[in-house]
Amino acid sequence: MSSPSLTLPSQEQHPARRRLLEVLGALAIAATYIYLVLNQPADITGGPGSASALIALTGFLAGAVLLIVAVLPTLPASTLVLIPVALVLNIVLGQFVGSTLVPFYLDAIGTVLIAVLAGPAAGAATGALSSIVWSFFNPTVLPFAAGAALIGCLAGLAARYGLFRRFYLAPVAGFVTGIIAGVVSAPVAAFVFGGTSGVATGAIVSAFRAMGDTLLAAITKQALISDPMDKAIVFTIVAILVYALPRRSRQQFPFLRRHRVLAGNTADTEARSDAAAQAPAQDPAHDSSRKG
Amino acid sequence: MVTGGPLKPGSNSNASNASDGAAPVLAAGIRNFTFHEGRAPALRDVAVSFPPGSFTAILGASGSGKSTLGRLLAGWLPPGGHGTLAGFLELSGTRLEFDGGPGDPRTNPAEWGRQVGFVPQDPATVLSTVRATVAEELAFGLENAGVERGDMMAAVDGTARLLGLHHKLGQDPAQLSGGQLRRLAIGCAIIAGPPVLVMDEPFASLDAAGIEELAALVRDLLKRGTAVVILSQTVDPLLREAGTWAVLSEGTVTASGPPAAMQSGVLPPAVRRVDRHEPATSAEPLPPQPIKQPVGSPVLELRGVSFAYPEGPVRGRRKRRSGRAGELSRRSLVLQDVDLAIHPGEIVAVTGPNGAGKSTLLRHLNGLLRPVSGSVAVHGADIAGAPAGRTAASVGLLFQQPRDQLFERTVLREVRFGLDRLVGPALAENRAAAALQAVGLAAAAEEHPAELSSSAQRLLALATVLARRPAVLALDEPTVALDGDGLALLDAAVRSAAAEGAAVVLVTHDLGYARSAAHRIVSLDGGRLVPA
Amino acid sequence: MTASPAGSAPAQATRPRLSPLTWLAAAGSTAVITTAAASWPLSAAVVAACLGLSLAGGTARRVLPASAAVLVPLGLSLLVLHGLFFPEGRTVLAAWGPARITAEGLDFTGQRILLLAAVVMVLLLFSFTVSLPDLVAALSARGVQGRFAFVLASTLTLLPAIAERARRIREAQEARGLVVSRGLLSRAAAFRLQAVPLVLSLIEDAGTRAAALEARGLSSPGPRTSYREVPDSGVQRTARVVLVLAALAAVVLRLVQAGAGC
Repeated sequence: MSSPSLTLPSQEQHPARRRLLEVLGALAIAATYIYLVLNQPADITGGPGSASALIALTGFLAGAVLLIVAVLPTLPASTLVLIPVALVLNIVLGQFVGSTLVPFYLDAIGTVLIAVLAGPAAGAATGALSSIVWSFFNPTVLPFAAGAALIGCLAGLAARYGLFRRFYLAPVAGFVTGIIAGVVSAPVAAFVFGGTSGVATGAIVSAFRAMGDTLLAAITKQALISDPMDKAIVFTIVAILVYALPRRSRQQFPFLRRHRVLAGNTADTEARSDAAAQAPAQDPAHDSSRKG
Repeated sequence: MVTGGPLKPGSNSNASNASDGAAPVLAAGIRNFTFHEGRAPALRDVAVSFPPGSFTAILGASGSGKSTLGRLLAGWLPPGGHGTLAGFLELSGTRLEFDGGPGDPRTNPAEWGRQVGFVPQDPATVLSTVRATVAEELAFGLENAGVERGDMMAAVDGTARLLGLHHKLGQDPAQLSGGQLRRLAIGCAIIAGPPVLVMDEPFASLDAAGIEELAALVRDLLKRGTAVVILSQTVDPLLREAGTWAVLSEGTVTASGPPAAMQSGVLPPAVRRVDRHEPATSAEPLPPQPIKQPVGSPVLELRGVSFAYPEGPVRGRRKRRSGRAGELSRRSLVLQDVDLAIHPGEIVAVTGPNGAGKSTLLRHLNGLLRPVSGSVAVHGADIAGAPAGRTAASVGLLFQQPRDQLFERTVLREVRFGLDRLVGPALAENRAAAALQAVGLAAAAEEHPAELSSSAQRLLALATVLARRPAVLALDEPTVALDGDGLALLDAAVRSAAAEGAAVVLVTHDLGYARSAAHRIVSLDGGRLVPA
Repeated sequence: MTASPAGSAPAQATRPRLSPLTWLAAAGSTAVITTAAASWPLSAAVVAACLGLSLAGGTARRVLPASAAVLVPLGLSLLVLHGLFFPEGRTVLAAWGPARITAEGLDFTGQRILLLAAVVMVLLLFSFTVSLPDLVAALSARGVQGRFAFVLASTLTLLPAIAERARRIREAQEARGLVVSRGLLSRAAAFRLQAVPLVLSLIEDAGTRAAALEARGLSSPGPRTSYREVPDSGVQRTARVVLVLAALAAVVLRLVQAGAGC
């Protein structure tokens, strides 16, 4: 009986459609941010239905959704199954820390973990998904989906370009990521909510407002105080976790191998497995598959 | 095409082997298989073949490569994904050749999974976690294959009846007991009617009743023509009915053939023979002499301990179930009026079927659980006031799941954890080394704990307990996850600890092991402790 | 995964059998339209409607505390921020040093809180009322929706499971002598002792589960069927399209109005 094939066709390239959606998503987010910065409405009493709030919301949400649509279908099962774990880490830690008086969030540990293990695209998708799923419990995090995706993307890029190879570089990468992400998320907080959702962060914004800043400026300054430290801590925690992984858990993630994300013996084991692969290849050629 | 009920009938020849003439439904010839970050090949020169309807047992100690072989056969380790394979795999007449290079074929896991079912060591990891009822969980694979609803319902029904889960079809999979979960995992593997079923350590942590059920299920499957392959590190009675045994050691097959030809010491000593109704054979050490007079006052004393799990509201941000109001306002007592006194140097075994509350009793010994009434006293002092972490200095508890504890990067650091604070750095060095020596892990001191085999991990957890030299040693199911070698080391370590004056409490469902290891046996029956 | 975040089977039988996608479209478009309109009366009406629906549906016991948990800190933060410090305000009601209570500030805060309350309540009402298994089954048709449904359902199942595992790990470490005292350093050390085994075991489990799911066809292309029957009809499909279009129209209208206004 002719059964469906037991083999898959050789590596499919990611179709152009996926690339297009990814680029569109990133463009949407970037364009929205640039628009908001250029057309800063100084008068916030226009209300949340004002053009800038709607543009912020739709632009950022559309960008986040496009990223998810582009990336999610292409993720391998090992990454896909890890995403709920990352989301739970985000949600539980984020809710817990949000209820204390600490001016941090600590809600990106799962996102950064996936970004380091599986790359910037997976990290961005995880960040966006994290906001969407968390919004089932706490709808106020939904507008920050783009910011969360940006954190995932930057963390993945940091991992790819070797910033996790040295332990002390990880917090630095986190610091910079925090600056960028905080600045990008500030308009959302300003125009959609008119403030921040935590009491401690609200106090900091009040202090800046008392000095006469516009709301956007005050929230951006508050973000520049809380976010870099927060992300530096998150990146450090993730570095500790990833370095504690045993070999056999690491080998499920080709991204780690391909870009030598972690310091250590990955380089020489690659050389060894290359040598091992050379030897059988020199045997008389077999057919790669033969129907029996 | 998927059939709902009986699987396709094949030749039911238990004693068949490859030269029977029947084409094997699954065969593998592995020259070598190396994980991507591995240092040495995990498997070398392994040749196995499984005719339809055959029953094969692959025996090997912990760390010998059984699970790797099982996953490779089942398509759970797609060659090229986790490691490089040189050799061939043949399934239902299709032969795939691999040579470790980039031109290798990529197996299609879904198609492979429809031909070979696999049940891993931990059945909970098979669950999809996205289905709300047992019926939907069973149907998950069929849904992905696009099977019509009517056919799906028939298949789910048939499989549930086969497994004895028919009355649980509407239940949440997360609420099943361990044995039911294992059956559900088997059901998920066989619902598509695969001609081969591979099971990895199916008998681990099953009590006598569970083993009987599993044996009946295996015989049923064989009758229907499925080839069954069981990977095990102990020779359970069911495996004596197998047609072929293959012995795996250090990644290669050292012996293969019918069981009758295997009696003559071909099995490595690490593979235990298990006979659950009789005490150990004469190959094992003699049971220790019972202590005639208890020496001194008891080290550990439980007086009138009763316990029931609290029925509080679900803590968390949202209560998920409504209608809990009418539920259990009376709490069922897991432990009722338990009295137990253990003297220094005594080894006591607590037996009973799974679910009787043995683990609960164990957690009372070091204060992880507090009794509802009664008291627990160590060295005469009640432990109710102290946090569990402080009582841990006198009561060392070895859990079933060593993975829950391991967090350091090397074995040595793992054993030394907390010792510095307890006895000072100089003494800590000696104690750690001695503990590792006692469990046979001295050579592995610089390895990552998660890289060890499961038996070695259990021994490592034992070393961390021994290094603290507690007055009371409490072991939860020592026979689970330990192969023959490991069990011998455990026995030796426990006996020497008892000889040095520690009191030992073993919790086990394996009566044979209890008889060979303990001075005194008590049984937990309906929440009460009775001498066995 | 529990059968429903909210009501159990009997409650479901009394509700009209609408597809969860219809509920999703309704909740989403209400939230969007309310945000776009940004008017007192509409927001207040939506809040009242949500309260009424939750009382009628029996989910009030969960929706109200959850909404309060989200809205109260946010409201307090906004009140403190804009009630006391609103440099754009002209009508000063009271002043202490740099802090000035202005009418505009209070007005702004009130409007904002009302709007956020409306949106939060409508979304939480949806999330507590919908039957998660039905939603997952309705979404699992193909492609992105199926994978998204997988992530959503798996996260909600894992939450209690991870809590259970974390508890077991804490017990195991306590049995090795972990005593958590007050100091920050002790808490940090305790965190590492529990977090590392937790994450390591979760990643290892994820590896096995990924292989199991692949073997059961998670990544296979092609049509999927559903064991669970989810009610749907042509009327509902049309209704969903209408709702989405209405939401889009509201957004465009508001943008055009704002563009024309300023």
